[in-house]
Amino acid sequence: MPPRDALDRSAERLSAKLAESTTRRSFLGRLGAAALAVAGGSAVAAAVKPDEADAFHFCGHIWTTGSCPSPYPPLSRIDRKGFPLHPKNGKPIDNLGRFVDPAGNPVDGNGNRLVGPDGDELPAGPRTRICEDWTRERHGLNDVRTQGSWFRCCGGQIRKLVDCCSHSQRRINGDASLVGYCWGGRRVYCVMYYDTGLPC
Amino acid sequence: MLETFTPAVCGSRKRQIVAQALFAATAVATAATLGLALGALGSALGARQAVLAAAGLALIAAAREAGIVRFPLPQARRQVPERWRFELPLPVWATGYGAGLGAGFFTYQPVSTFWVACAAALALGRPLPAALCLSLYGVGRAAMVVWPRRRGDDPTAAVERLAGRRGALLRANAATLVACGVLLALAPAAGGAVMVQGGALDPSVDRGNLAFATQDGSVVIRPLGGGPDVVIPDAREPSLSGNHVAVVDGAGVTVWDWQSETPVETVPGVSHPALAWPLLAYVRVDSSSRVIVVRNLENPGDQGQVRARVKRSVDLGRPSLRGNRLAWHTASRRSSSILVKTLGAKAPRVVARSRISLLANPSLAGSRIVWVEQRSGKSYLRVGSVRNRKVRTLERLPGRGRTYWTTALSADWVYATRWRLATGGASILGTRR
Repeated sequence: MPPRDALDRSAERLSAKLAESTTRRSFLGRLGAAALAVAGGSAVAAAVKPDEADAFHFCGHIWTTGSCPSPYPPLSRIDRKGFPLHPKNGKPIDNLGRFVDPAGNPVDGNGNRLVGPDGDELPAGPRTRICEDWTRERHGLNDVRTQGSWFRCCGGQIRKLVDCCSHSQRRINGDASLVGYCWGGRRVYCVMYYDTGLPC
Repeated sequence: MLETFTPAVCGSRKRQIVAQALFAATAVATAATLGLALGALGSALGARQAVLAAAGLALIAAAREAGIVRFPLPQARRQVPERWRFELPLPVWATGYGAGLGAGFFTYQPVSTFWVACAAALALGRPLPAALCLSLYGVGRAAMVVWPRRRGDDPTAAVERLAGRRGALLRANAATLVACGVLLALAPAAGGAVMVQGGALDPSVDRGNLAFATQDGSVVIRPLGGGPDVVIPDAREPSLSGNHVAVVDGAGVTVWDWQSETPVETVPGVSHPALAWPLLAYVRVDSSSRVIVVRNLENPGDQGQVRARVKRSVDLGRPSLRGNRLAWHTASRRSSSILVKTLGAKAPRVVARSRISLLANPSLAGSRIVWVEQRSGKSYLRVGSVRNRKVRTLERLPGRGRTYWTTALSADWVYATRWRLATGGASILGTRR
């Protein structure tokens, strides 16, 4: 068996376990995230029930903690590294909400460089992580970390819901925070999501 | 007047419909034109104080409608000229009646709401929205003509029925005026900015003189107190200082004596000038870095001194130079900053830094500094001090379609380029700071 297939099979077993599990312990979320990253999550797709998860403020999020600040609030869609994506089409965007090319330069929907009112191409602006940069700066939290996650079926694909965690006893809503899938004494401050693109 | 629009007076049911349609169209158009004029006037005058004045007027009017205070309204207590319908053809008198009543000034006003609407249109300072809002007054006038016919009523009976509900109408009107007053008072200085120049960008101001670039590729200098504009063709990014102006042209940065319209000095291959005569700052792009160089133009041997250096991948925008202070922005994918450096000092001072916002295009005047902040589809004009960290928001542009660009600062005014991302169309707005 080629090493790649073996890795996929291991990931499949691990991911299936995760999806079938009825516990919601945060370490499973961490395992799930690792498995998904390794295997591309194909096995999770087979294990998660193909029903739409009930939404609170975005699909898949059934708890009350609010979304993290983002370029398209409240839709805090992120890529695998926690950087913002356009909530509709999943293309990379900068902090202003503009589409960006791989070099970070702002582009239009067709990939052409945007120009300013003087006709010159617009330079790249900041594109930073929703939890570690946005939440930290907007809410003055120096200890925020992307930690726990869980999975739901949304729009026919697996959605990974991700907690942005802090030691703060208050969450973004202003009331008491919950431990959720956070660890190391941290609690859920706000939530983000990553669409895997894998059917469910 | 309602009895006028009956089949008996008009001649037939068909002619009645024509008369009502002409009356309605003219009333709406006239009211909209009035709103357009008031909005344009507000835009020219500046509307920040007018918003509060309109709010106060709405509350006073509400008190009048509620019977708390009594005062007469400015109005012409006249009816439409009856002889028109005997002497003039139907299309003419119907249109004339519509224009007379739609304008509002030439007829009886039972409540003060019309005057509050006029004040609000002036305060809005935006012609088209003001026209849209005030056109509703014309719609109201037209409705009073059309409504009895729709119900198949005798027009006089309809008016009498309405008059019987006067108390309830006055109370509703008073409540609406209170709501308007509160909303206007709470509005974040709606329409506080004044349009200075359309189709223009990159303002620069010094001693009351204003310079800007036009979108067709010239630089215009508008002298204080009137006088003809001075135009420098094929140039952009002006920076004014006294009777000198630095512009970007095909050669690089050229400094002109704009009063005699003669070039003074050219620095080839550079951009983004900032002039505080005789000091000229500009941005030079090297192989691996971008630098801001400051040069004394009265010293022929001065090749300039590098005052700021960043990696080439980092954006260095248009700097601002006033006295011995230099301000500029840096913007990268990781963060952006507004920095100020006293020319004698070694290190710059960070006025603002953000990992999530794009901070750009600062301008200095004395110890005050203004810059643009953009994030999540919103654009802010921030004003702060180079001495402390106090910052306030002067203007805010919601929505992703429009944003602020370059700025200029004088003792009393803040100028900013506002542009539309979809069209690239730009204009310069001024706000009292």
